[in-house]
Amino acid sequence: MATATKTAPSASVKKKTKGQIVVDWLTTTDHKKIGYLYLITSFIYFLIAGVMALVIRAQLAAPGLEIVQTKEQYNQLFTMHGTIMLLMFATPLFAAFANILMPVQIGAPDVAFPRLNAVAYWFYSFGSFIAVAGFFTPQGAASFGWFAYAPLSSATFSPGLGGDLWVFGLALSGFGTIMGGVNFITTILTMRAPGMTMFRMPIFTWNTLVTSILVIMCFPPLAAALFALGADRRLDAHIFDPANGGPMLWQHLFWFFGHPEVYILALPFFGIVSEIFPVFSRKPIFGYKTLVFATIAIAALSMTVWAHHMYVTGGVLLPFFAFTTMLIAVPTGVKVFNWIGTMWKGSISYETPMLYSLGFLTTFIFGGLTGVILASPTLDFHLSDSYFVVAHFHYVVFGTVVFAMFAGIFFWYPKMTGKMLNERLGKIQFWLLFVGFHATFLIQHWLGVIGMPRRYATYLPEDGFAWMNLVSTAGSVFLALSMLPFFWNIYITYKRGVKTNLNDPWGYGRSLEWATESPFPRHNFTSMPRVRSESPAFDLNHPEYAAPEAKAAPKRKD
Amino acid sequence: MKFNASLMWFLTAFYVVAAAGYMVWYAGTHQGGFEPIGSAAISMLAIMCAFLAFYLQMTGNRQGNVPEDRLDAEVADADFEVGYFAPWSWWPLFLGLFAAICFASLAVGWWMLFIGFPLAMISLIGFVFERSRGLNAH
Repeated sequence: MATATKTAPSASVKKKTKGQIVVDWLTTTDHKKIGYLYLITSFIYFLIAGVMALVIRAQLAAPGLEIVQTKEQYNQLFTMHGTIMLLMFATPLFAAFANILMPVQIGAPDVAFPRLNAVAYWFYSFGSFIAVAGFFTPQGAASFGWFAYAPLSSATFSPGLGGDLWVFGLALSGFGTIMGGVNFITTILTMRAPGMTMFRMPIFTWNTLVTSILVIMCFPPLAAALFALGADRRLDAHIFDPANGGPMLWQHLFWFFGHPEVYILALPFFGIVSEIFPVFSRKPIFGYKTLVFATIAIAALSMTVWAHHMYVTGGVLLPFFAFTTMLIAVPTGVKVFNWIGTMWKGSISYETPMLYSLGFLTTFIFGGLTGVILASPTLDFHLSDSYFVVAHFHYVVFGTVVFAMFAGIFFWYPKMTGKMLNERLGKIQFWLLFVGFHATFLIQHWLGVIGMPRRYATYLPEDGFAWMNLVSTAGSVFLALSMLPFFWNIYITYKRGVKTNLNDPWGYGRSLEWATESPFPRHNFTSMPRVRSESPAFDLNHPEYAAPEAKAAPKRKD
Repeated sequence: MKFNASLMWFLTAFYVVAAAGYMVWYAGTHQGGFEPIGSAAISMLAIMCAFLAFYLQMTGNRQGNVPEDRLDAEVADADFEVGYFAPWSWWPLFLGLFAAICFASLAVGWWMLFIGFPLAMISLIGFVFERSRGLNAH
């Protein structure tokens, strides 16, 4: 029973018509297909917001340019760039990877609520469309910044349909995220395979659990805040009226969601690289339990740091939030230590997923360090709302989300489609992306230090920002170009790729998804190996190096 | 189930300490003042976590030692019937679509609600009762 028996897919499968395929995707309740829907939709939003970013960079390339016709359009661009990247790309990307992998990693046939899972996707998809649909209205999309500070976001200062659509679209999409979170928690708590104890779950699954707990803690306040804002805008309520302290209430509520949101983006992607480092270092993850506890600590602390976004309001308890914010660097540092410990003296090979994971690690450490700088109120007073902050959060978020996303796509592509992506194109893409990213954003730290504020549509030649902005814009071109090898890669793999027919094409896969066929069968497993450690697939495929518990277990004949 | 409950109890304890620390620290630095928003937010986290922890604890006690928490469980030890998984369903798409019309109506105009709301209700009923086998028929 511990050996995976290969059953050939039945040869009598009829080719589906196009209509059948469309209906199949629209009505699917398969967690993997829903995951692919999330992956594809969020990637499309990534490209849309990426184009917006390129227009923003073009506008800032030299002083006094007028690439966008009005400053209002510029405001719409950066507002929707932020909104899309955070809530329509990165958050659903978590749902994508969690849907595709988490049930397989715990040995479940599907998620706990397959139809609710589909509802969650459609809420996200339609909600996001509503929020973006502001671009199709005469006045354009929301333009009050993605954190919609009151009173700027009120109907007085930002009238128009675009803002209303933004509010209610995000509310709907947020409900989808909450449903997804509930679904993931239930699945992990109730549908693990026998022997898959909590402390044998893969790190990615652990991070999915902790992230989902964060989702149910912080998305409901966002929904409440959005409905209150909607009531202000549409029903003339005065919840966020400055006359009764509304601006501070909004900022508290928004950042009470907004900061954990950043960790909702980060933790699943930490999970992805935690899966990849051991495979390409040929070593088990170093300090499994410390990684789990570090994740829990990050999640717990992340709910108590929100007001570090509000230092400059002068109305928050500075020492408390500075203390918790600096404290959160400790478990994050533990994680970095664990990843380096995993690679230490390992037999490392640099396949594309590993390259991306290393790209993640370097980029994220930069972002983490500038985060500690910003956690200090005295420094933050000078740097707040400058390009230093822009550089900081792009290092953190792009470093985790985009680098780890490509790491995950390259790593699990054979599991999703049965074909490996081209390695050479992947490496070309990585270096373009890596160089492009750092050229774009590294210099923005110094732009911030010499005083360039964020969200300004243009600047004067006398400001002295010109050459740095030009470098940044040039970098963004490389960043954009790095998508071309990726599309080419997907295309030629689709056309000419060879099916691997291997359960574990990388050779050293550890968690349960490497013990089943590529691509996954409909309910994930035709046979399930016995779980005796946190790397059951490795125990199965390399019995001579298996975990002691797996070796010691008596062989049963059945 | 044991560690699940412990995890939520740990979070409860952490937020109790954090809420108390926040309130005391604020009062100490603001001449006995009280900051309602942050205090309420962290305290409610503690309540929510305690709620989940209590539920998980009770369920865990009732269930006893389940195969997925045993270190030496065999695959065959799992429940014979994992559950029923709907192979496909139209209702999630419809529910999503008509809920979206309802939400958009809040932004665009109330007239859309008169179209969206009945359809959303039909979808919701369809969604809930799609695979229903009737009361106590499982």
